[in-house]
Formats: sequence, structure tokens, C-alpha cells
Amino acid sequence: MKQFFIVPALLCCLSVLAQNKADDVKTFTLTNGMKFLVVEDNSIPNANMYLLYRVGARNEHPGITGLSHFFEHMMFNGSKKYGPKEFDRTMEFNGGANNAYTTENVTVYTDWFPSSALEKIFDLEADRIASLTIDPKMVESERGVVLSERSTGLENSPWRMLGEAVNATAFQEHPYHWPVIGYEEDIKNWTKEDLEYYFKTYYAPNNCVVVISGNVKTDEVKRLAQKYMEPIPAQKAADPVHLVEPPQTGERRVTVQKQVATPYMLIGYHTPEARHKDFYALSILSSVLSKGNSSRLYSTLVDKKQLVSNVFTDYSESFDPTLFQIYVVAAKDAKEADIESAIYEEIEKIKKEGITEKELQKIKNQKLMEFYGQIETINGKSNNLGTYELFFGDYKKMFEAPAEYNKVTLDDIKRVANEYFKKSNRTVGVLKANVED
Amino acid sequence: MKRTTLYIVFALAFVCQSFCSFAQTKTAEYKLPGYEKFVLSNGLTVYLMEQHEVPVIHVAAIIPAGAIYDGSQAGLASLTATALKHGTKNYTKTKLEEELDFVGATLNTQATKEYASLSAGFATKDQTRVLPLIKEVLVNPTFDAAEFEKEKKRMLTNLERAKESPRSVMGSYWAAFLYKDHVYANPVTGKVSTVGQLQVADVQKFYQANYIPNGSAIAIVGDFKAKDMKAQISKLFADWKKGTSAQKNLAASVVTAPTGNNVLLINKEDARETTFYIGGVGIKRDNPDYVAIEVVNTVFGGRFTSWLNDELRVNSGLTYGASSRFLPLKNAGTFYISTFTANKTTEPTIDKALEVLNRLHTTGIDETTLQSAKNYVKGQYLPDYETAGQLAGLLTEMFWYGFNESFINSFQTNVDQLTTAKAKEIVAKYFPKDKLQFVLVGKAEEIKKIAEKYGPVTEKQIKADGF
Repeated sequence: MKQFFIVPALLCCLSVLAQNKADDVKTFTLTNGMKFLVVEDNSIPNANMYLLYRVGARNEHPGITGLSHFFEHMMFNGSKKYGPKEFDRTMEFNGGANNAYTTENVTVYTDWFPSSALEKIFDLEADRIASLTIDPKMVESERGVVLSERSTGLENSPWRMLGEAVNATAFQEHPYHWPVIGYEEDIKNWTKEDLEYYFKTYYAPNNCVVVISGNVKTDEVKRLAQKYMEPIPAQKAADPVHLVEPPQTGERRVTVQKQVATPYMLIGYHTPEARHKDFYALSILSSVLSKGNSSRLYSTLVDKKQLVSNVFTDYSESFDPTLFQIYVVAAKDAKEADIESAIYEEIEKIKKEGITEKELQKIKNQKLMEFYGQIETINGKSNNLGTYELFFGDYKKMFEAPAEYNKVTLDDIKRVANEYFKKSNRTVGVLKANVED
Repeated sequence: MKRTTLYIVFALAFVCQSFCSFAQTKTAEYKLPGYEKFVLSNGLTVYLMEQHEVPVIHVAAIIPAGAIYDGSQAGLASLTATALKHGTKNYTKTKLEEELDFVGATLNTQATKEYASLSAGFATKDQTRVLPLIKEVLVNPTFDAAEFEKEKKRMLTNLERAKESPRSVMGSYWAAFLYKDHVYANPVTGKVSTVGQLQVADVQKFYQANYIPNGSAIAIVGDFKAKDMKAQISKLFADWKKGTSAQKNLAASVVTAPTGNNVLLINKEDARETTFYIGGVGIKRDNPDYVAIEVVNTVFGGRFTSWLNDELRVNSGLTYGASSRFLPLKNAGTFYISTFTANKTTEPTIDKALEVLNRLHTTGIDETTLQSAKNYVKGQYLPDYETAGQLAGLLTEMFWYGFNESFINSFQTNVDQLTTAKAKEIVAKYFPKDKLQFVLVGKAEEIKKIAEKYGPVTEKQIKADGF
């Protein structure tokens, strides 16, 4: 492969960096199966704790859709030692703040605190993992909060509505079919028993990875982990998700009505999960299409042809095969059919001619800058280490990522474009005001 | 998500770096890392701060060219800032974008209400490649006419789109309702009727008048040697011509305070929920009680266990999140409570928000709650100033608002000094109690009667031009 002059220098820097940083991560696993990753970083006197549970909407079934996300809320509503409201009150009194999020794949709890509060954070987290209280009164009040969360998402973003429709169309058997927030009627109807089963099964220490970065000492983290987390018993592993989406055999289309100025369009292609060999090539392809104003879709659709006002693409880590998504917002007076064919034209060009060496080098340079951005903060470190540990099976893959991207060749890009960007493999969603004409 | 992004608890500009030590009860020695400040002969202020953790460099620039100078041409400052990247003396737009993208650099320009700003990030090894591009964009933009027309068209589409999401337009309605004929009412995004009229000559004129080195600052933070960088920057920006006429501070005029309750109801036909702000007059950025006010607001609506969120979300399940904030500018500011709820629970939610505000005034803040807020504020501000990009932004804010590291370094002391007695004074002095202003976006047919309960109602259609 021919390269630009900056490449040798870049590779050399990368390997040094990777070597140093991967060694900076210390790991240990408790006897109950809870795994810890620790990064000592004293750049600020703060630390964080990210707890990643292998549970998300893909572990649900119709009747309890949205339960993973609802459970994320219930984890803040009281446990044995720290009753209702006490988790947040105690954490904030100690200078800490927290949040949490749920996706199709995982549920992640994030605590940010002055490192002097480390032991208190362990106490708080251990208490809710060991003995959560599921109080029916809290369940009722929390249903209102989640219904408001669902509603405000739909009110403020057309993408939310369109994304749900496209997923429901592209996935007909696999659980990526339903939205993470859940169906409104499921939110209103799940039972205390559903919640109790969920807790026992998925909030087991052996189903969790904990990442701690900041002004801490690994020995101290280990001592606290043994004191607070190790007594929590392991549970039988949850049943694996056995549903597999059958291959799509023809283009699917879906239309949604919402009062919008110009149409929104989302095109999704079935693509593989994070551990698949094509992940890196597809990720590069996503950047080729939409990262920066010199990217193919931006320069053609937004700039030259002025068919759309915004374009972006997304291909993210997942446990099961997922969608590569292209999002566009139509420019005023642009025809949907013209927009769609302009997108396919760009894709066909890549399938036939591939991309240029310079383009590939550009993306590799961009990936390196992204990597720097990820390791610049203690939160970026924890979040990314956790992501790689779960989705790629090993946190070390984070440090190998720049090298993995460097391995991708022009032929790889052309091959994956041909393999996945087929008409029969795509779902096209359109959201617009007038759906009758 | 457990909570919304509404929790912008802290917009404060404080910093701590590698050599900080933290103690919760004692005043710790927080020090802003050393930096160098100098002024070029054309009046441009330059800040340099070395940070070597990651091999990157971040640049932030601030220029007195915000929407307050729009005049009757709403959107002009914003379009000018964007158009800086439409090509320069030595680079076409396409060439500029290719150069930046190729090395993975970012370069963004934008206008806010008060100023225009530039932010850029790139690898240390690319500095001699990227710094000249930053200079080109700031000093030698050519404002290509064809690119301008394309940008205008995109801007018009985005203006219409923004009205589809109450959250994205609340701020503009709020500013217009509170600031009335003051320049702080100017919507940064502009409006369809004015943006549609803008010509490339307007942008050129605006640039000539407002993009002047005297009155601007540039901050560079990251992995470099200050001595080399100083030579490089001094040479690069030497030919940026000094402005001749002094810029008038249009925002200096007094804001007229409201004389009673007022309600602005914005009808959105397809609304499934009501989004609202309640508040009034706030503070200026240089208020000496700034830190104390932020601590008190933390108790009231600045964190998850705040009284507002506790009452409206945790106790009653009426909303996904409720918060409050002060929005200080250089010459004036506002304060507001912000939340949203289903159409049918609009009335109890507004009433409860008002109840909590009343409680702040009548009950006051106890010792334990105040201590908790102080710990929280001290524990949370550091990670906001961890990266080179964040630090570069901080330095330009220091320039703009006229504070320096002594203010930052005494942050901890300021927080610690707040007593319950002082907190009581802060509440009485700065948190509105009456003459409240309400902005509601929702389905008028269902909530108009409710709106009338709180004051005289002005009704607008969300689809109507402007704010």
C-alpha cells in the first residue's frame, strides 16, 4: 500500500502511545465475577466510576419492552441502607454527581466525584446492587417520569419517531425491533414481578464491568472492591439472546407523519456487530461518507447539489448485527426521489471505483485525532475502556484500534461497500408533513 | 437517560490542573496553570498555556462581533461568522475544508449574542499547517457570493426546522420577551424575514466594522513550547489591521424591568406537552455574588436533588426534569425555571413550580442543605476545565468578561464563605419573587385558560416569523 509521507511518523507515535497507555490500565476480577479496570490519573483531584451491565432492550420481549430503561430509573429509588432519595442525596452531599443511560445493548451507570469520596461511592453502589428495594409506590411515580421522558423525546426530535419506525421495519424478529424507551402500554403495565426477575438476573456482579479512572490508587480500589462488592453473590448467567434477524430479501419502506417543514429521511443497511472483521472498514466508510465538509455525501448533497441541508451517518458498536444509518434533512423544495438517488449514486461510485488513497489516509488521520480526544479526559478513558471491554471483549482493543484502522485497505472498503450496501438489504424511512399525496 | 441535558449546572469559568490538591473541608490551593498573556501592536490579546498530556493543540478566539450588532438585520452576525469559512485570500472553501479534514483538524466559527468565536483543534505535528489556516479565516476571508447564497438557503431551512422543537427555540422567545427593545433581545439565529434579505455585501460590511484585532483575543493551549508559539503567532497575526473607530457597546443601555406578571403563549398545534420557562431579571456576569448565587441555585434547581426536581419529578412524576438557572451576560441577565409536562398536567406543574419558588423565599435554606450544595459545587467544577480545548475557552472568557486567575483561584474560598444568613440575603436579592414572566409553548386550545391565570397573555403562533 502506498502511503503519504506523514504515515511512518504517525505509526511510530501510535505504537509508543499504545504501549504506554495499555499498560496504564490495571485489572482484577473479584471471586463473584465482577471485573474491574482501573486507570490512575492524577491530572485533576477527581475520579469516576462507570458500571456497565450487559443488559439492554435486546434482553426484553413484547410485554416488557422498555423495562431495561425503566430499571435504570428504579436503581435510584432506594435500597436497604440508603432508602428512597438517599442515593442521590448522599452522593451529592459528598460532592458527587451521577447519571445513567440505557441502549439496545447495555445499561451504564456513571458517577463523578472528588476522589476523597471513593469509599462512599462504593458503599452506595454496593448497597443498590446487593439489596435494591422495589417499592410499588415508587414504581407508579416513576412510570410518570418515564412517560414524560418518552413524550419529550418525541416532541423535540423527529429523528426519534423516524428511527423507531425504521428499526421496527428493518428488524422483524430480533429485539432491536422495539425502542429502548419501550411501548407506551408496556410502560404502564409491567409488574413488580417483572422487575424482581430483571434485578436478580441482570444486576448480578458477574454481569457487570466496573471502570474507575482518576486520582485513585489501584490497591485502594481493590481493597474497597473486596470489602463492598465481593460479598454480593454471583448469579446464574442470563439466558443468551437467541433471536437472529433473518437476512433481508428485498427493500423495505416506511412513512411517518409529523408536522415538519421539510422531509427527514433515514436509510438503514443491515451490517455486522462490533466483533465482526468488517467493523473497522465499515466505520471508515461511515467517515468517508459524512465526516467533515470534504466528505462524499456532504460535498455532493449539501454543497454541490443543495438537495439536503444536513447529512450524517452512524455505525456504532453493538452485540448483534445492527444497521448502518444515513440521515438527511431535505432542503426546501428538493424532491425526495432526487435526494434518494443522489445518495445511491455516491454509494454506487464507491462500490465500483472504491475510494482514493488520500481519502483513506484522511480518515486514518481523523481516527487518530478522535483517539486523542477519547483519552484526554478521565471520563473519556472510562467510557471508552468500558465500551471496548464489553463490545470487543477486551479493553486492550481500544489501544489497538488505531492500528486496526491502519490495517484497512482500499480493497477492504470497496468489498464491504459491495457486500452490505445493496438495495435488497436496505430500509428507507421518510418522515414528512404531507403523507397523503 | 436518568436526566435531561437541562442540567447545565455550572457555566462558571473555574479551573484546576495537575497540581491541585483536594480537601473537602479546608480551602485547597487551586491554581490555574501558568500562562502567558501579551498584546500585539495591532491590539490583539494573545494567551499561551502549555499542556503536554496529549499531543494536540487547541485554539480559541473571541471577537466583538455578536448578534447585538445585527441592527435590523437579525441573523447577520451569525451568517458572517459562518461565512468566514467560505474561502479566503489563499484558499477556496473546498481547498480549506480538504486541508483541515485531511489532518483530522476541526475549525468552527460561530456567533453568540455578544461575540463571535472560533475554536480549533489539531495534532501538535500539524501546527505549521493549521495555524496559517486559522489566520486566513480570521484575517483574510473573501466571502464568496455563491457560497453565501447556499449558506443562506441552509440557514432558512434550519430556521423553519428549529420551530419543530420547543426546546431549540425557547431561549430566543425568552430573550425577546424579557429584553424587549434592548439588543439582548436579538435572536442569534435571525428570522426568516430578515435572513432572506441578507446580501453578501452586508456580511462584508459587518466583517469590516466588527472583526478587529483590538477588542479581540486568541488563546492557544496544548502541547507546544510557549517561546516558539509566541514567535509564530506574533508573525502570523502582525498584518491584521487595527480597527480605527472604537466599537460602541450597544448592550450598555439599561434593560427595562417588568412591572407585573406577563405571559407569552406560543401555540404549537401538534404539541403533546407544554414546555415552559418562568422567571425574571437575573444578574450580570461580573456580579460579586456570582459564586454564592450559583450555590444557592444549586439548592433550588441546579442538581438532581434540587427542590424543583425533587418536587416536580421525584415526588409527583409530572416531568422528566425540572431545573433553574441564571443566564448572565456582560451587561444584564435573566433567571428562569425550566421544565415540560403533558398537556393535561400543565396547571399542576406550573403551580408546583411556583410553590417551590415561594418556599425558597419563605422557608429558606437549612445548614445541611447548604453544606451539601457547597460540597457538590466544589466537587463538580474541576472536570469542566480538564482539556486543552476547555482551557482555551476559559482564557477567552476571562478576556471577555474581565476576570482573571485570582477569581478562579479563590473559588473554593468563595464557596466556603457562604453562610445560611448570606444565602438568605442572596435569595431575597436575586431570586425573583413576583413580577414573574412566563413563556409557554404548547397547544393553546388546551392551555390558554390556564395561562390566563398567571397574568395578561400575549399569544403567538410558533409558525409565525421570528420570536
